[in-house]
Amino acid sequence: MSHSLRAATFVADADRTTWHDETLWFVRQKRDKAVYAVPEFQELRELASQIKEHTLGRLDEYLKQFEAEARRNGVHVHWAADAAEHNDIILDIIRRHNDTRVVKSKSMLTEECHLNPHLLGHGIEVIDTDLGERIIQLREEAPSHLVLPAIHLKKEDVGATFHQHLGTEKGNHDPQQLTEAARQHLRAKFLAAEVAISGVNFAVAETGGVVICTNEGNADLGVNLARVHIASMGIEKLIPRLSDLGVFTRLLARSATGQPVTTYTSHYTKPADGRELHVVIVDNGRTQQLGRPDFRASLKCIRCGACMNTCPVYRRSGGHSYDFTVPGPIGAILSPNIDLKKHSSLPFASTLCGSCTDVCPVKIDIHTQLYKWRQVLAEAGEIPIAKKWSLRFMGRFLASPKAFGLGGKLARTGLRLLPHQLTHAQALNPWAVARELPEPPKQSFREWYARAVKQ
Amino acid sequence: MSSSREKILAAARANKPAETPLPTVPDFGGDASVERFMAVLSSIGGRVVWVADPAQLGPVVQQLFPDARRTASNLFPATVGVHAQTPTSGLAEVDLAVLPGEIGVAENGAVWLPEANMLHRALPTVTQHLVLVLDHRHIVATMHQAYARLPNTGGYGAFVAGPSKTADIEQSLVIGAHGARSLVLVLY
Repeated sequence: MSHSLRAATFVADADRTTWHDETLWFVRQKRDKAVYAVPEFQELRELASQIKEHTLGRLDEYLKQFEAEARRNGVHVHWAADAAEHNDIILDIIRRHNDTRVVKSKSMLTEECHLNPHLLGHGIEVIDTDLGERIIQLREEAPSHLVLPAIHLKKEDVGATFHQHLGTEKGNHDPQQLTEAARQHLRAKFLAAEVAISGVNFAVAETGGVVICTNEGNADLGVNLARVHIASMGIEKLIPRLSDLGVFTRLLARSATGQPVTTYTSHYTKPADGRELHVVIVDNGRTQQLGRPDFRASLKCIRCGACMNTCPVYRRSGGHSYDFTVPGPIGAILSPNIDLKKHSSLPFASTLCGSCTDVCPVKIDIHTQLYKWRQVLAEAGEIPIAKKWSLRFMGRFLASPKAFGLGGKLARTGLRLLPHQLTHAQALNPWAVARELPEPPKQSFREWYARAVKQ
Repeated sequence: MSSSREKILAAARANKPAETPLPTVPDFGGDASVERFMAVLSSIGGRVVWVADPAQLGPVVQQLFPDARRTASNLFPATVGVHAQTPTSGLAEVDLAVLPGEIGVAENGAVWLPEANMLHRALPTVTQHLVLVLDHRHIVATMHQAYARLPNTGGYGAFVAGPSKTADIEQSLVIGAHGARSLVLVLY
């Protein structure tokens, strides 16, 4: 199903669409405020982009360096070529410890690999511990945003979900009280778990350590109480030096939520005495994207979600309409790499306004890549027939001054004479579903110019 | 060595772009004042208390948390002994942890807390309330300066910036998600 068809169900509720739009715009404004308070913010973006560019140019070497340092620290390092291998490695570690209760802190990579259903299918209880993630897990939904996974839900929705699953009072939708209920519920899970799974925000080649950023402290609580910590990491998370973290920790939270930094920025380098730390290094299509010169810059992404908060299309169509782990503008350039056919409509879900590119903390040329994907999709024959032929026709039409002049005249007259019902017939003109056609001018520019020159 | 390792490394080698230089990150300078640090930490939900003499710590903590019954600390005589091997059940009972911070960062209110200072890795998040104690001369302007002071990050260490918080329910800010419900920074 195309993005626009799925978005149609979201926008059918006009009030909710407006609320979603305004909520995300509020986050975007908070981002701006935080960014303007840092005089060197633009320099930091450039540095971050250059550090990532350099890292991609030596990716194999940095991966080996990271692995060697991590092993020296007593960390178990695993390599997974794809999602299935990632899931098998993790299931295997859990089984070796005879455990059935696992807590997880937010990791979009485990989401991308569909780890939860895999573990559940093998009798493992896996509990998401980030509040937003837990809410959508109880509702059996996918996250709709990178940083704000339950941003599509209102507090009444959460109240109803908690009433059903956690026994909170019916009709109670006070965020403070709901959060307290989740705290109590999840604390029991944290205390009982033997194995904890987390994502990785940054992996430092120089130290062999991984860095995890959260506001709730769920990663720290989970992995520091459990005997076994499994960190799931995409190969693009690498940075060369510990000091590079100075650049990225200054950019991440400011770009994401407008905070000066996340509450917890935690550095895991060695396992604690008597405990285990595993890092699973995952490819799952990333080296393929690395081999596409036009699109490899998407691997610089630090998953802040700034492009979503600013995107006029994302804000009004909701994250679920993208049907991909990473929604929004960045998702629309990552997803065709994974499945060109399935995600063929996503690069068209953009106004190409460039706002995503403007806010990206690592300067990914998102809107340019969206434009480039459109060419790739057209060449692969992955655009709808109607669009293909109408664009081909428009190309010929616009190339001929005679046809264009005549067509303009016809359109100006036609728009005046034809009934609204016909010009706005949804089957004939989908463009006009939510738009008015322009008032036709009396004359074209060329006619006006010809007359003006004569006078 | 797994074959996936070889496969991933070979693909990364074959597909990587031409190497570009690794930039030098400048020290951007900035405001390392106590005032800035206090203002930022307050804005993210932390509370700052000044003491003239670190020897007063005990009475100050007593005054701040009169109801805390089970307190863990490596700075003054505490009521609960916590160490690296304390079982989860013991950790879960801690009301208050009072721990020494190493570096304060003025631009974001974060305090560097290395493993050596936290008794148990889970203590700063499992405790209901957290007090960090910091020498005001250890405040730096930015994260660049903070990392410049760290030769390495030890086995584990965290920058802690305020109490645990969430805004996952309709973007309403709630202090006290999973970690410590409050953070007081005692500066001397």
